[in-house]
Amino acid sequence: MTIEAPDLSLAALAPLLFVFGAACIGVLVEAFGPRDSRHPVQVAVALVGTLGGLVTTVLLAGTREVTAGGALAVDGAGLFLQATIAGLGALSLLLFAERNLDPARSAFVVSAAVPAGSVRDRELLTVQRVQTEVYPLATFAIGGMMLFVTANDLLVMFVALEVLSLPLYLISGLARRRRLLSQEAAVKYFLLGSFASAFFLYGVALVYGATGTVRLAGVREAVAGAEGGTLVVLGLALLVVGLLFKASVAPFHTWTPDVYQGAPTPVTAFMAACTKVAAFGAILRLLYVAFGTEEWTWRPLVYGVAIVSMVIGAVLGLTQTDLKRMLAYSSVAHAGFLLTGVLGLPATGDAAGSGLPAVMFYLLAYGLTTLGAFAVLTLVRSGEGEATHLSQWAGLAQRSPLTAAVMSLFLLALAGIPLTSGFTGKFAVFRAAIEDGAWPLALVALLASAVAAFFYLRVIVLMYFSEPAVDGPTVGVPGLPTTIVLAVTAAATLLLGIVPGAVLGLADRAAIFVG
Amino acid sequence: MSVTHYLVLAAILFTIGAVGVLVRRNAIVVFMCIELMLNSVNLTLVTFARATGTIDGQIMAFFVMVVAAAEVVVGLAIIMSIYRTRRSASVDDANLLKY
Amino acid sequence: MTDVAIGTGEAVVFWILGPVALAGALGMVFSRNAVHSALWLVTTMLSLGVFYVVQSAPFLGAVQIIVYTGAIMILFLFVLMLVGRDSSDSVVETLRGQRVAATVLGVGFAGLVGAGIARATRDTGIEGLGDAGGTGNIETIAGVLFTRYLLAFEVTSALLITAAVGAMVLAHIEREPGSRQTQKELSRARFLTDRPQTLPGPGVFARANSVATGALLPDGRTAEDSLATGIEPREVEQMPRPTGRAQLGSPDAALGTTDEPR
Repeated sequence: MTIEAPDLSLAALAPLLFVFGAACIGVLVEAFGPRDSRHPVQVAVALVGTLGGLVTTVLLAGTREVTAGGALAVDGAGLFLQATIAGLGALSLLLFAERNLDPARSAFVVSAAVPAGSVRDRELLTVQRVQTEVYPLATFAIGGMMLFVTANDLLVMFVALEVLSLPLYLISGLARRRRLLSQEAAVKYFLLGSFASAFFLYGVALVYGATGTVRLAGVREAVAGAEGGTLVVLGLALLVVGLLFKASVAPFHTWTPDVYQGAPTPVTAFMAACTKVAAFGAILRLLYVAFGTEEWTWRPLVYGVAIVSMVIGAVLGLTQTDLKRMLAYSSVAHAGFLLTGVLGLPATGDAAGSGLPAVMFYLLAYGLTTLGAFAVLTLVRSGEGEATHLSQWAGLAQRSPLTAAVMSLFLLALAGIPLTSGFTGKFAVFRAAIEDGAWPLALVALLASAVAAFFYLRVIVLMYFSEPAVDGPTVGVPGLPTTIVLAVTAAATLLLGIVPGAVLGLADRAAIFVG
Repeated sequence: MSVTHYLVLAAILFTIGAVGVLVRRNAIVVFMCIELMLNSVNLTLVTFARATGTIDGQIMAFFVMVVAAAEVVVGLAIIMSIYRTRRSASVDDANLLKY
Repeated sequence: MTDVAIGTGEAVVFWILGPVALAGALGMVFSRNAVHSALWLVTTMLSLGVFYVVQSAPFLGAVQIIVYTGAIMILFLFVLMLVGRDSSDSVVETLRGQRVAATVLGVGFAGLVGAGIARATRDTGIEGLGDAGGTGNIETIAGVLFTRYLLAFEVTSALLITAAVGAMVLAHIEREPGSRQTQKELSRARFLTDRPQTLPGPGVFARANSVATGALLPDGRTAEDSLATGIEPREVEQMPRPTGRAQLGSPDAALGTTDEPR
């Protein structure tokens, strides 16, 4: 028997090749590189890979192509999201690379295999070496995310989901301080994550059974031909549940606060920014491309889940006393806002509706802001690591006016105050929802934003109008990597709030799915 | 007897696995329950491959096995590391091993 | 392709192995011992392997038995043995009423999905795979795997690399050069000290052999060498020191070197 080689457009695959290539080189460096120079080399390799991915996606702008035997759809929306992930990924890697803040010189453990709390572990606490495998692992995760948003096939989507998840499970357990908490976060994330991917997989199987194919376009045709019925609805529900878990949408959010709190803060920033983009990219592609004609099946589900997520995120966020947990609930609430935009489906397949570009813009804005907020969290430290308890932040503005100002900017953006990117994003998704007739949802979203704004503002009030605690935390002087991250994210948060036109226009032009 | 029998069996196995994940407390057993869920998905895929007359289902089952293998390695490594810590957290403080 | 009917033989296989698979699953969830759980799961997996073979997936059936039961489950058993068979401490929080709620949810889910599937596939015929499910199975799989699913196939390599790196990160303790001495160096260093022999264990009149109690020297002092480092020494009530000939008896009597009658 002869096999015909499938068409493979290397150009369209270039961003993925760049990132996965960098990850593989990173593994080789780990194996053969001299121990002393591994850290800078790994950082350089990972940055070159992700930035290369970013540049190639930009160069590919305008491509609309289905390649790799129909398994990969390189289109406007896919490239926009890929560029977002690569950019945010590169910024997260910079946070990983920070060496100045922690007295132990890194947020990552020296040797993850040494049991926490053992004598050897305590000896290693002050050693400057780092488990440098985090860089190739994070790069693999970034590659998986970039594949996830361009997957044109449910099977590739599943494999990409695992490619992005497995490294995340691993690196969330590699904190240098509070290792038990970090390891527990890894176990929790792993068990719940694989539980959710089992549901996703069952959904794939049922959709395959109903339609006989897993290509998104094939599913669309079969579904429009009214085949399957019950099986398709069941399968779709299970698929969406699996994806909502990754996007930490309530009621599938229970892992979020624990994992966000336990994981090393740079990893939390990475998860909060990039995983969210990837999961929503996949949700958009799945719902719009494969089930765009079946809107009645998923609309009620998304509608309900959006409300639950916004309410739970906003209300439980109020009760938190730990900043990392608070930002975790904020991420749950933002997932709800994003779903509001998802409902603004373009009326016909590729006519430009307002939902898709609005969600794409929101993802970019939210990713940058939340990354910046977590970066600020790494600055404020007490004796045993980062000071994330709310009371420790009292009067921070007197200790370090600049830190407090930057944090306030990010919090205002998360709250959606005008002149910040958060406002533009929220405005866009709410408008999309209202245009689609979902104004009750937009109303709930407005109320939820008002409640959520309260807990963001509470932190600002605490920073500016409270007496600093006597034994309060110190504000570290960030090294170059964190400074770059803070500068970029703060500037972007402001620019996307004041002059969002260019990026909104870009999102509008890019909002096209092929496949 | 038709394919429905296989599919319903798979659905029941999937549910048993899912309930097991929720009720068992030993991390390794929870993980085994997840493996059971993946296996029942494979049965569904193979059955649908036969019912629809396409080989794709079998290939997907194949991929599921690869993914499950990778997941098992990562998962057991994570679970091992936490067990090792938990057990030694109390004992390793003391240098018991005199020569 | 024409519809394929399911023969009696297959029905017999299904009705024998179906309950076995079900029993395996239930056994896994209900056995208290984790090793028993693993063995129950093996039963289910073997039954599923036979189902694959029966359902024109001979290759998958073999892979299921070799890879799943042969490798993955053995890995599970290895880890179970390593972390201790009775490792029953939990990392997942227990909630009150969770079992009941989970069971109710499960029954609901099974009812919904099972009934949905049953209704949807009641009239589904079997297209059958023909030769692709028989002698041509492997060729057909290869043909599709390396064309339509090439990308997924390539990307799984990322998955496998991640798994290998991850296992190494979490399990392999790197030895720094010079941090660990060889047996030869250790024994040489030992003989250069004043005390090449082992440290003393519990000594004369010791009432306990716990590491926390030191050995007693004949004169009643504690032998400092015998105390473990890093452990608070524990005072143990000592045996009352025998006094007087009445308790001890005469040394001559003990040695049997006297003429006195015993």
